[in-house]
Formats: sequence, C-alpha cells, structure tokens
Amino acid sequence: MMDDSVHSRTAFSETLSLNLTLNGEPLTLQVAPNAVLLDVLREQLGLGGTKKGCDHGQCGACTVQVDGQAMNSCLRLAVMCEGQHVTTVEGLARDGELHPVQQSFLECDAFQCGYCTPGQMMSASALLEDDRIGTDDASVKEAMSGNICRCGAYKNILEAIQQARVQLAHDATAPRKEGVA
Amino acid sequence: MNDLTQSAFAKPRVVGQRTPRIDGEYKLTGRAGYTGELLAEGMRYGYPVPATIANGVLESLELDDALAMPGVVDILHHGHFESLHRSPNSMAHGDMVSEVRLPFEDERIYYHGQYVALVVAETFEQARAAAQRVVARYREDDGAVVGLLHTDTQGELQESAGTSRGDPEAAFGGAEVKIDSTYQIAAESHLQMEMHATLAEWRDDGKRLVVHESTQGVFFQRNAMARIFGIAQENLEVISHYIGSGFGNKLFMWPHAVATAVAARMVGRPVKVVLPRQQDMTGGGNRPASRQRVRLGADRSGKLTSVIHDSTTETSWVHQYVDACGSATPSFYACDNVSTSQRVLEVNHGTPCPMRAPGEVSGIFALETAMDELAVELGMDPVALRQKNNAEQDPASGLPWSSKHLDECLTSAARRFGWDKRDPAIGSMRDGDEIIGYGMASCTWSAGRQPCEARVELRADGSLFAACGTQDIGTGTYTIVAQAVAELTGTDLSRIEVKLGETSLPAGPLSGGSMATATVLPAVAAAVRDALDAIKEVAVGSGGAFEGSDADSLSAEAGGLTDGKRRVSFAEILETSKLSSVNGKGSAAPGDERSEYSFRSFGAHFVEIRIDPEISRVRVARVVSTIDIGRAINPPTARNQVEGGIVMGLGMGLLEKLDYDPRDARLINANVADYIVPTHADAPEIDVELLDYPDFKHNEFGGRGVGEIGLTGVAPAIANAIYHATGKRYRDLPITIEALLASS
Repeated sequence: MMDDSVHSRTAFSETLSLNLTLNGEPLTLQVAPNAVLLDVLREQLGLGGTKKGCDHGQCGACTVQVDGQAMNSCLRLAVMCEGQHVTTVEGLARDGELHPVQQSFLECDAFQCGYCTPGQMMSASALLEDDRIGTDDASVKEAMSGNICRCGAYKNILEAIQQARVQLAHDATAPRKEGVA
Repeated sequence: MNDLTQSAFAKPRVVGQRTPRIDGEYKLTGRAGYTGELLAEGMRYGYPVPATIANGVLESLELDDALAMPGVVDILHHGHFESLHRSPNSMAHGDMVSEVRLPFEDERIYYHGQYVALVVAETFEQARAAAQRVVARYREDDGAVVGLLHTDTQGELQESAGTSRGDPEAAFGGAEVKIDSTYQIAAESHLQMEMHATLAEWRDDGKRLVVHESTQGVFFQRNAMARIFGIAQENLEVISHYIGSGFGNKLFMWPHAVATAVAARMVGRPVKVVLPRQQDMTGGGNRPASRQRVRLGADRSGKLTSVIHDSTTETSWVHQYVDACGSATPSFYACDNVSTSQRVLEVNHGTPCPMRAPGEVSGIFALETAMDELAVELGMDPVALRQKNNAEQDPASGLPWSSKHLDECLTSAARRFGWDKRDPAIGSMRDGDEIIGYGMASCTWSAGRQPCEARVELRADGSLFAACGTQDIGTGTYTIVAQAVAELTGTDLSRIEVKLGETSLPAGPLSGGSMATATVLPAVAAAVRDALDAIKEVAVGSGGAFEGSDADSLSAEAGGLTDGKRRVSFAEILETSKLSSVNGKGSAAPGDERSEYSFRSFGAHFVEIRIDPEISRVRVARVVSTIDIGRAINPPTARNQVEGGIVMGLGMGLLEKLDYDPRDARLINANVADYIVPTHADAPEIDVELLDYPDFKHNEFGGRGVGEIGLTGVAPAIANAIYHATGKRYRDLPITIEALLASS
C-alpha cells in the first residue's frame, strides 16, 4: 500500500485527456485529475467569464450549462465532462449578437459590479427553456435563488428575465430572415 | 460662486438621462477582466494557509511534505519572508491600509484565519493541495475575546470621536418623556461577490512593481506599497479595471497583497493569489459588532430636548478601526442638547473595516428605533414625530443645508406606501393567517467631496478619451464620466472611451463614502473645458478650420465647434491642422462652500412586513422609499444602488450575523451558505423614488452621491414594522427566526 505522499505525488503530477464540446467547438485537453471545471475554464483555457465566488456551490457565480442544464462549475471535476457540451457566458452570444438575456440585462440594468452576472444569465437562459419552471414572478425568483447578487439587483434581474422571455417567444414565432427576403 | 444654476448643467441633455452602462457589454459577455481571472506569462499561484486558532502562538510549521509536492516552488512564512516596513497608515497622505501589521511579522496569532504561510506552486491545484499539507502547530492561549456582544467589558473611550452641545444629561434628567434603550448589532460580512485578489509582477530587473488588485483605491494601495517596500511611487503601478464590488472592504490594502508581491519577488515570476471565500471572510474585513445606548428626552408635544448616543464597536488586536456609530446623530434632528461618545474594544477577530455606510448605518438603526419607541410612548404618529423635529439647518455646524427635502421624502413615500391606512394598534392589521406590520425610518448619509484630477483627449478619428485614476466598483462611474464628456462636447456616447483604475492616470479618489461622483465629474468637466480651449486655439490658428476667428466666439456643439453659422467636427479641425489629438487636463476640489453650507442627503423608507405567527416567520413584503440625492447623473444606475442598499438592509435586519465560537473566538460560519444574505426569493417588492433637486452648491453637476444612503434606515424600519405587528421591541440585529421564536 502506498503512503499518502507517494499517492499524492502520482495523482497531482499526472494529467488525463479530456474531450468535450465547449461553446460549440470540439476540444481536447490535458487536465489534472483533481482540477475543477471552473478552474480549468479560468486558468487553463483563459475563459474568465465564469466567476469564482465561493468555490463551494453556495453562490452560483460559476454557473455554466452542461448539456443544457445549469450547473455550478465549481462542484464539477473537469474530467466528469467527458463527451459533454459545456456552455459558458462566452458562448451565450451568437454571431456577434447578444443573446436576448444579455440584451435584456443591459437594458434593465440588471447588474452592478457584474461579477455574479454571467452566472445569473446562465441560470436565466436555462430556466427560460425549462418547462418545469413556472413563468410567474414568484417561480422565477425561486428558481433564481441559487444565484446570489450581493449588489442586490434582484428587481432588475427579474425584470430582465421576464423581458427576455417575451423576446424569445417573439423570436420563435417571427418569420425567418431568409424566408422574408 | 458656487451657485451654478446658470452652468452648462442647469438643463442637461445627457446628464440626468437614462444611459445604459458603457461597460455593460464587457461584463455581459465575460470580456471584462476582473483581477482573479487575469493570467500572466510564467505566472505562479499562491494559496495562503490560515491559522486555525484565534489566540495563541504559532509554535512550528511542518513544511517538508508540502515542499516535496509536485509543482511547489516555495512556501513563505515567518522567518522566510522579506524584511519590510509598515505603512504610516495615513488617510491624509493616502497610504491608509486595512491592517497595519505585515504578514508573517511575528508568530503571535491574533485571529482565526491570520496567515501563517503562503504556498507558491506552478498550478492552482498544486498550490491548494500543498497548502492543505502544511502542518501548523499552535499553543492556544486562554482568554480569547470572543466579541463585544459576548462580554460586558467596556471598550476604550475615543476622546476625539465624541461630540457634545448644550447640557444633554441635565435635559434628559428633566425631560417629560424619556427613552433609554440599548441596541446590539452582530458583526457582518461584506460578502462582496469577488473575493480579494492580487496579481503581482516585478519588472525591469526587480525595480518596478506592477500589481493588479481588486480594489476601491488604486492610489491608496500604490502609496502604501511604496512605503512598505521602500520604493518610489513612480516605480509602482496598481491596476483595477473591473471590481466584483467592495462595499468598503476593498478601500484599503490587506496583508495578502503584500505577501503576494513578496512572493513574486522571491520566486522571480508573477504570482496570483485569490483568497478562498473562507479566508476572505475571516481576514478580509467585516463590519464590527456594536452596542449602543440611546437616551432620548422629549416634551409632551414630541419636541426632542435631549439626545445622548453612546456607542462601542470592535476592533482587532493588530489594527485600530473605529466604526463611528454616532456620526450622523448630531445632524439628524433639531435638538439643543446632544452628545455622542464612542468606545472601541479589542477582540480576537480579523480586523474590521468600513462597510457600506460605515458607523452611521448602525447608529441610525439605534436612533431611528429609539424614535419609534418615543412615538409609541407619546402616542404620536412616527412620521409626525420626525417632522416635528426636522432640522431646518444643520444643528451640528449651525450652517444652512445646501439642499434638503426630507419632508417631501417623508410625505411622498408615505403617500405611495399607503401609510394613512395604518392602524397604529398592535397586531391590528391582518391578511388571512398573517399579521401585517407597517414601519418607517428616515435615512441619511453625508455628502463629501475630495480633490481629483482628470485628463481628456479629442482625437482626429473623432473619438474622445477621458481618464481618471478612480475606479468603477459597479456603481456606474465609467458611464457617468462618459455622460459628462458627452454633455460638454455634444459627442455621441459611442465615440467616448473612458479609462479608470490605473495609477498611471491622473490621481483620482477612492470609490467609497458616496463621494466618487461629486469628486470625479467636476475634474472631468475641467479637463473637457481645457481640451476645448486647446482645440479652439488650433481652430483659430494659422491654417485652422476657423482661422482668424476669436476663440471665445466658438463653442462646442455636436462633437465639433461652431461659430453660430458653421459647425466643424473635432476630427475635421484636427485633420485640417494635421494634428492627431489635443489634450486637456483638469482638476477640481471642494472649496469655500464647505464653510458656508452643510452637505448631507436625506430620505425615508416605509416597510411592510408580514409575520406568520404559527411559525414565527417574518418576511419583508414591500419597501417604498423616497430619497433626495440631489441630481441622479444616471437615474437607473442610481436607483439600482438604492434598491441594492434596501436588499442589503433586509439582510442586516433579519439575516446577517458573523458567528464566533464562544469557546475560542473562531469564526463558525465563514461561508456563503451559513452566513445568510438575501437571495432573489427574499427580495421584496421595491418602489424607489429619487427626487430631482440638483445641489449646485455641492458641485456643478448637482449630484450628492448615492452608494450608502439606501442601506441606512432599512433595518430600523423593519424592526419598527415588527413592533407594530407583534408589540415586541427587538433591539438586537439580526432579528432572526430564532429570536422571534424565543420571544413568541
């Protein structure tokens, strides 16, 4: 049986190969087995949009979407994402156009310092696609309560989410551009 | 002359108008670089090792196992650290720090979480793993001071912090109606979303230190580091472009920044340290607990005859911090006999520091709860009692207010809230199983201003550039600077670039005390005017766009100059004269007006709480507020500040409490789950009205600042509403469900 230090030396100096799809792009990288998804995004891939607020799954600032589900990236080892689709705030805008949630956060001033904001938007954009969550204010507030905003911009965050809901519904029913010509 | 009603800002087009944040898209796309996520070539990671006791001596450190772990470069600790100097810690000289004790200065442990080592490794994972492998052995001493609220020990009287007018003791003794109550507020955590973070790098063969820090004051940190490291200020650069808020605990530098800079020098590479949340809470600042005794004397009509406000707050053993609870009290109400006193008690906690509306928010809780008690005693409406004692001028200084509209705040908020529907009888208002309580309180914060410098460039590509060494901590400073430039030049906001948060820029103020707006904008305006003078000179000069004209006949309009007949854009003027840009410098400072007027903002909060008596659950259902902050430069961001202050006030009133173990003074709840802050589901319905009375005596823009005032007065309005619902007077914050259960 190995003693602790030998075991640690082996574990922390080895890396494992990881294949995932990040913001729509396939990616292969080498990660330490104890590397957390949040730290791999921020420190290894230079994607600083995903924030560290507690590292314990308590504040929601690190929220990303894994296969479309909002998750705390600080509670997920990077190697657990093998074969999965991970979306961060950097992948929210499409073709240079802000996502409706980003646009409504800007218009409603749904942030102050901006640090919890990527997590808020990743949760918001997931819940707007989630049929299990009611569309009324109380349901949205409850569903968003895993994302703490210490600046206290909750009122504007709620307004932004409900405004984005309207925009998304409008986008879904609007005729496609190529069809209009 | 300070009355600038004829100024360019009397009828502004951009200032005072709803303006989306110019840094918004950066924050919303993840492109805004906060300190903790910055990367540097060859960077190493630091991870501090915190003390696990609160009072004793570090007897030994076992480092061999940690040093042998993969990627570990070095471990700093007492005995393996540079010899440095302390900062003089002067507010006047701009080198104040949050904790004067240097990291690893001695082996004494003064508080739980004090750093005993800093591990430096190649990756974050390696540094964290090795930090957990460091074994520290302590001698734990008896007699840790657990906290002010765990002891009857009197703190030391701060002679300089007290005030007195008239004969308050005699007036209290002879008063027809008396209130004599003691209020206690638990220590709070700022819990700013971004933990303290430093990235330090020595350049030019170790001659120059460049530090990225999540800070509310780049210049203060630069000056303090220059003193501590004994290097010229010119060889130090501190940068902070985006800050995940601060609420006061990022005003002044903490020891982690010093340790990080030393580590960078010792390992010869850039080093980054992001404090783990637990360490941020134990050693990165807190609002100290307070105990306050307030005595009010009044006559039967409700006229105050005496106000005596005696406060004690905590500090640490390694740094003296005075949280002056009574500082608003002498100015709050018209009363001839007023005194305040302040004591400070050393406790075994991490050093406290300013937290949003420092001192005053605690003092206003005590004073405005006491006023509610007085209203009950008199059988008088709480709003009427406040109106009865309105201070028409500042009773502390004897000076007239620059602008005060508290009465309109009280009446307007009361009307929107529906205060006239309040039945004053205890527990008389119900909705199904819930008891409804209505409570109110006034709020206030001083309006300060500091000296400031700024620079503006008009560029040949048509863009404008403004720079100031202040910061935007989320309040919207980037945007209001752009608004000021747009206002004075007529340039579209999209063509204005603003740079803040660097010590290479003209000296700017701390982002704190609700002073940044009134401090920075006048300097920016002066720089714009200087740049306009420069481009007018160019325009009327030989070969210029207005060659031969009188420079004084030209004025700025729509991003160019006009003589009344013809407008030429700045870009064209510069192009015509083959120039790439002109530069303007400006500075501004408070002046004689400070001895002619008193400057303070006022407002009022009205709160509806609902209690389910079966389970002692209290919820804040509704907050209606009217605040007079002079002019809001950007109304949505200003309102956002007040709304956020109300949410934080809900936390102060009902939820927030740093819990120290009564056995050994260790902080029990140093994490975001056990230290409870308001979540989205806790957020009440909020209706904030900002009055619009520009205060041109304060500055030419008319704004008095907005960061703190929204928080003040919320907790007492909640406590007063709970009294209305239950008849129980809660004088200790937070009013937790446990407290409600215990007294139900």
